[in-house]
Amino acid sequence: MKHKLQQTFNLIHAEEELKEQTKLFLANKTQGYSKCKQTRFKPLIPIAICVLAVLMIVGGFQIYFTPVSVISVDVNPSVELAVNCFDTVVSVEEYNEDGQKLKDALNLQFLNYIDAVEKIIKDQTIQDYLLQDEVLSIVVTGSDAQKDEEMLAAIRNCTAGQKNTYCYRADADQVEAAHAEGLSYGKYRAFLEVQAFDPDITPEEIQKMSMREIRELLAHLSNETANEVIDDGHSENKGAGDNGAGHRWQKGQSAD
Amino acid sequence: MRSEESVNNAIAQYSDMIRRLCMLHLKNYADTEDIFQTVFLKYVLSSVSFENQEHEKAWLIRVTINACKDLLKSFFRSRTVSIDQIAEQPADLPPDNREVLEAVLSLPEKYKDVVYLYYYEEYTAPQIGRILGKNVNTIYTILNRSKKILRDKLGGDVYEA
Repeated sequence: MKHKLQQTFNLIHAEEELKEQTKLFLANKTQGYSKCKQTRFKPLIPIAICVLAVLMIVGGFQIYFTPVSVISVDVNPSVELAVNCFDTVVSVEEYNEDGQKLKDALNLQFLNYIDAVEKIIKDQTIQDYLLQDEVLSIVVTGSDAQKDEEMLAAIRNCTAGQKNTYCYRADADQVEAAHAEGLSYGKYRAFLEVQAFDPDITPEEIQKMSMREIRELLAHLSNETANEVIDDGHSENKGAGDNGAGHRWQKGQSAD
Repeated sequence: MRSEESVNNAIAQYSDMIRRLCMLHLKNYADTEDIFQTVFLKYVLSSVSFENQEHEKAWLIRVTINACKDLLKSFFRSRTVSIDQIAEQPADLPPDNREVLEAVLSLPEKYKDVVYLYYYEEYTAPQIGRILGKNVNTIYTILNRSKKILRDKLGGDVYEA
């Protein structure tokens, strides 16, 4: 049996064509036996490419949605536009009811910030406010001063010709403090100014007021303080408790 | 990477053995061609330093059998071919040898390698156990069962060896 098996297997040979094909394949695969030795890490290359691709997608996504600047717009509607490094508005935050209405009415996300600001200014509600002599405050904040200045210049350019419109720059720390008080930066700045005259004023009260009302209040308080200084200078007998500090501004009250 | 010369030597020396192992498992020439390319590419790229020729031969047997198993496990290859088609491969075999080959090919998959290595390559059961990564007692059992099957198919002269 062994003999028969050996005899049978002896009759089986690899075809010459098969050998030649194999040699050709190997020469081709190894580029004439000159190809660098395969590293043991080669099987990991596709995995590494996949991981890199995922990281790039996640990283790109994160970069795209990370705001580098914030544009705070206050009339009575208070909204803040978070702008990424590609000058695109990535999120819109509202700070009062009118701000919510404005946000819902205008689809500002993913617009260029200049287009977004133009869209806000051209909105009928904002135009109505401005016609009623309201004050539009636009504040640019970010970590890169140069970038903020560029944005501010572009915004000033697009608000040119609008009356009662104020554009300025602020530090990121101040914006954080504004958010901590539940105010947009424009109103927070006004709040600080009012607070200097009236320490009892609360952020909630400021939030309910339009920018014009706040400015009128400021004008009123500064006039009142100026008068008190004059009075103090002329009357030494004036009572300490009658200094007007307890005067509270009511929304809608005339500044004059 | 091994040199072209050493690869050509290996092809000249071991092609017949690899062809026989392929014949035991595979169903067509194209698959055999695939296995040849796979086995010798592994040989070219392998960093294994062979202690001697026996070591090299055993390595090639092992790689060939594993490559055949991988090919057969592949979903796209899982098609059945009748024994007639298998036996058609060595078309120029004389009737006696053809009968013997058909009997070997009809053995269960795991028996074929053992029979080939034992009867043709003249390895001992412990050596076959080492090459195939199996217990030596398993090899003895496979050999006994194979002998019985072959005796039933080919007649009573199996124990001559």
